[in-house]
Amino acid sequence: MRKVITYTLLVFCSLLFIAPLFWAVTTALKSPQELYLFPPKWLPSVWRFSNFAEAWSIQPFNLFLKNTVIVTLLSTLGQLISCTLVAYGFARFQFKGRDALFLIVLATMMIPWEVTMIPQYMEFNYLGWINTLKPLIVPSWFGSAYFIFLLRQFIMTLPRELDEAATIDGAGKMTVLARIIVPLMGPSLILVAVFHMMSCWNDYLGPLIFLNDQTKYTLTLGLSQFRGMHGVDMQSIMAITCLISIPPLAVFFFAQRYIVGGIATTGIKG
Amino acid sequence: MVIVSVMALTASMLAGCGGGGTGTAQEPDNGSQAGVTTLRFATWDTGDALKIEQDIAKKFEESHPGTKVQVEAYADGFDQKLAAGFGAANPPDVMYMWDFPTYHQSLEPLDDYASKDKDLNIDDFYQGLFNYGKIGDKLYGIPAGFTTRVVYYNKKLFDEAGIAYPNDGWTWTDFQDIAKRLTDPSKKQYGFGVRAENDTYDLQGLVWSNGGSFISEDGTTIEGYMNSKETAEAIQMLGDMLKNGTAVLAGGKGQQSGEDIFKAGKIAMWESGIWPLESFREAGIDVGTVEMPAFPGKPVKGVLAESALSIAKDSKHKDLAWEFIKFYVSDEAIKMRVADLPVRASVVNELKKDQDPLYKPYYTMLERSDNTPAFLLNPKWNEVNRQLSAAVESVMFGSDAQEALNQAVKDSERYLK
Amino acid sequence: MARINVLNPQRQTAAPKRLGRKRWGGAAPYLFIFPWIFGFLVFTLGPLLFSLVISFFDWPIVGQVTFVGFDNYVEMFSDDPLFWKSLMITLKFAALFVPLNIIVALGLAMLLNQKVKGSAFFRTAFYLPSVISGVALAMIWSWVYSGDYGILNYFLSVFGIEGPDWLNDTKWSLVAMVIASLWGQGSMMLIFLAGLKGIPKDLYESASIDGAGKIRQFFNVTVPMITPTLLFNLITSIIAAFQQLTLALLLTGGGPLKSTFFYAMYMYENAFKYFKMGYSAANAWFMFLIVLTLTFLVFKSSEAWVFYEGEMKKAKPKHVKRRAAGREGH
Repeated sequence: MRKVITYTLLVFCSLLFIAPLFWAVTTALKSPQELYLFPPKWLPSVWRFSNFAEAWSIQPFNLFLKNTVIVTLLSTLGQLISCTLVAYGFARFQFKGRDALFLIVLATMMIPWEVTMIPQYMEFNYLGWINTLKPLIVPSWFGSAYFIFLLRQFIMTLPRELDEAATIDGAGKMTVLARIIVPLMGPSLILVAVFHMMSCWNDYLGPLIFLNDQTKYTLTLGLSQFRGMHGVDMQSIMAITCLISIPPLAVFFFAQRYIVGGIATTGIKG
Repeated sequence: MVIVSVMALTASMLAGCGGGGTGTAQEPDNGSQAGVTTLRFATWDTGDALKIEQDIAKKFEESHPGTKVQVEAYADGFDQKLAAGFGAANPPDVMYMWDFPTYHQSLEPLDDYASKDKDLNIDDFYQGLFNYGKIGDKLYGIPAGFTTRVVYYNKKLFDEAGIAYPNDGWTWTDFQDIAKRLTDPSKKQYGFGVRAENDTYDLQGLVWSNGGSFISEDGTTIEGYMNSKETAEAIQMLGDMLKNGTAVLAGGKGQQSGEDIFKAGKIAMWESGIWPLESFREAGIDVGTVEMPAFPGKPVKGVLAESALSIAKDSKHKDLAWEFIKFYVSDEAIKMRVADLPVRASVVNELKKDQDPLYKPYYTMLERSDNTPAFLLNPKWNEVNRQLSAAVESVMFGSDAQEALNQAVKDSERYLK
Repeated sequence: MARINVLNPQRQTAAPKRLGRKRWGGAAPYLFIFPWIFGFLVFTLGPLLFSLVISFFDWPIVGQVTFVGFDNYVEMFSDDPLFWKSLMITLKFAALFVPLNIIVALGLAMLLNQKVKGSAFFRTAFYLPSVISGVALAMIWSWVYSGDYGILNYFLSVFGIEGPDWLNDTKWSLVAMVIASLWGQGSMMLIFLAGLKGIPKDLYESASIDGAGKIRQFFNVTVPMITPTLLFNLITSIIAAFQQLTLALLLTGGGPLKSTFFYAMYMYENAFKYFKMGYSAANAWFMFLIVLTLTFLVFKSSEAWVFYEGEMKKAKPKHVKRRAAGREGH
């Protein structure tokens, strides 16, 4: 009986989350004449898979894909390394000004970009980074507050005795981090990687502000090319959205088992 | 030490933001490299229009060796992107422009270029278009495209109801009568669609047609204009059509728009510029256009939405930028831009655009668009418009137009002192 | 890996100091957090200070910069009804969104925490909306919410209910925004799920031996054990609620009649529609202070309710304590 309720709920909720996407896919497949019918047509009368290829070729999306992959991979790598170090520093040490500094870390999450955008643009302009991918990659190598906070919370749930046992055996702090903490953090690091990849993949404002030349554009900027001042090409937007959602979805599908499977089996067991 | 250097950096940014550009380092990447000059051209266009612009840029490169035109497509992030560019004194060289009151201080006056350069053939343009690019008596933009507003109608719905297609010279009484006959709530079909959030700019044609306006002609007074009986009547009419159910409320930009509902064949008439025409045809709607209706006994007035090309004051390649603008508004390039209404009379005559029944109403409305829109009359219009927009919106949601506009005038007075 | 001396608070707090000094001196922690310090000084602090400075200026982006002292702040508090209005709307939104977001995400996570077949599919399904970019999301929601032609009202009509015109009805628009925002809870759900998976099974076993029912197990075992993730989700939810902009910008534009005119939208319009950068910076700093205060309060209070297994100096929830004590005996 319990099982029945559980499955019913699971299926019902899944439908809630999937149904709108179903609409996105069918919209992408319809003919222009069927797009706006009411009552809506659930399935297209002819499945026009060519719509995907057409939308993809309107702008150089292969190039946009390449740029997005470069940005996403490099900045995710930077994020993982820097956030691990910083989170470990905040989670495992007592030092002067720690709480104050940590509050500043949190505070940086709350800065509204509306007002820092232009000065940031000036700074990158000063450095000669405008219209390059650097503004989208380099800052990631210095940690972002959200992930530092997330990893700190995870590290703090790890029993301290683990570090201590290793330290007594003569291991340095760096060794403790690399040999003890990081292996236990595996799942949460994958979590950070997945989250950062998603936000990087879908980032619109950063690329919009810092990139000028179309050859540098990312996928979301390409997507926004269908949304003009007057009128929106809904079908192309849906087609491109479906296509560019596939890689992150695939990454998520393969990563999720490690995220949720891992933590329970590591470390905490006696 | 680090903090000090950061402070210094902040200070230098501040110095650079004044728009002078002297304090900010300009990297060489938009200068000349190996003999190639890069000209940055910013556009808000998307889709097919953008493709055409990229083609024009290529054509220009062919005829100007050593030049690369970098087409920067900002789509609907246009204002944000320009804000960052101007704020950091690193704007594009040439850009699309319509909001001259906001931007003109950072734009290059073009009077000298336009009057000296015979190639431009300035007399061939529809002369009214130049008024929209002027602040004071200086010209900041060369007209590249425009649209007036017309009424679109769905021929199939008219045929089904046995109603004759509307003709030029029709009145708002005719309009409301037709709207009523084409409304069928059981089919969720309506005669007309009214936007929940109107751009007050677009409503000016309607207001002028009833003999009203938002502001006095000298741009100093709104009391007795914005809340005049004529202005209120015109806006109240839209509110009334929503109330009596002959019009449906259409959502804003992101929502299911009036255009979408028109494409679904659920509204019979829709008012807009040229923008959605192509997509109506693509959606398989048999669409007709007709000029705006008149208020009985009064002349129809129209409002013009213009897109112009401007040069940034900070541009390093102004002469090249001018060459590009000139090419962009040449016969050759205008013919390539099929989505825009031609700005040159010679091209219009050659293509017989004003003979085509679908395009003719835009040009009849052009002749009727000789009033100056409010935003060109008062530098504080943005602030006043905030109040006016709120008032107009509240009328769409059932408020009384006269009361709402009186309130808007009261709330706006402090900006006009 | 053994857990030794779990209950020895003195050693716990003394240890890091002693060991830290031995190897790296007092500098070790600073070296670890150095990347962040550097990034903060180079990429964040400058623009932040710049925005503070500019909030005392009139800066129309194009045109002259003029020093105006506290005028921007004075105008904001005394002479701008939109400031108060948008602030109230954001507070209302936060009051609805933050608790609901946590309840929904935790509920879904607990649902997924059961032993079920196809859990990989369900997890992916629940996370799906988080993968879609904002532009498409807004379009999807406009299609769901449209009054006459929307899918939500189409479903309601099947049950004989006549739904409102969600996004054009001031009574429902904010609720509609909350629901649309909740739809993107995927990340939070995943964090909770990871937290739930981390709770050792034997805690539940010992609780159930003590005769605790499901509900008591939830409050005595589950809740205390996920407090670190709860703290994280609470703080990030608060911040997200105050920064909510994309959906409002793309879906309602702040309407109808300003009923979804969030504070972030107010700031955005001042900056990019009205080009009042200095004023917008003043708006931003005020919001920054509000969120900072809220976070600070939550963070301070967390000492009383968040339980870290790594720092066992605090009093522990009943069952956790019992288990640890039991362990020691073995």
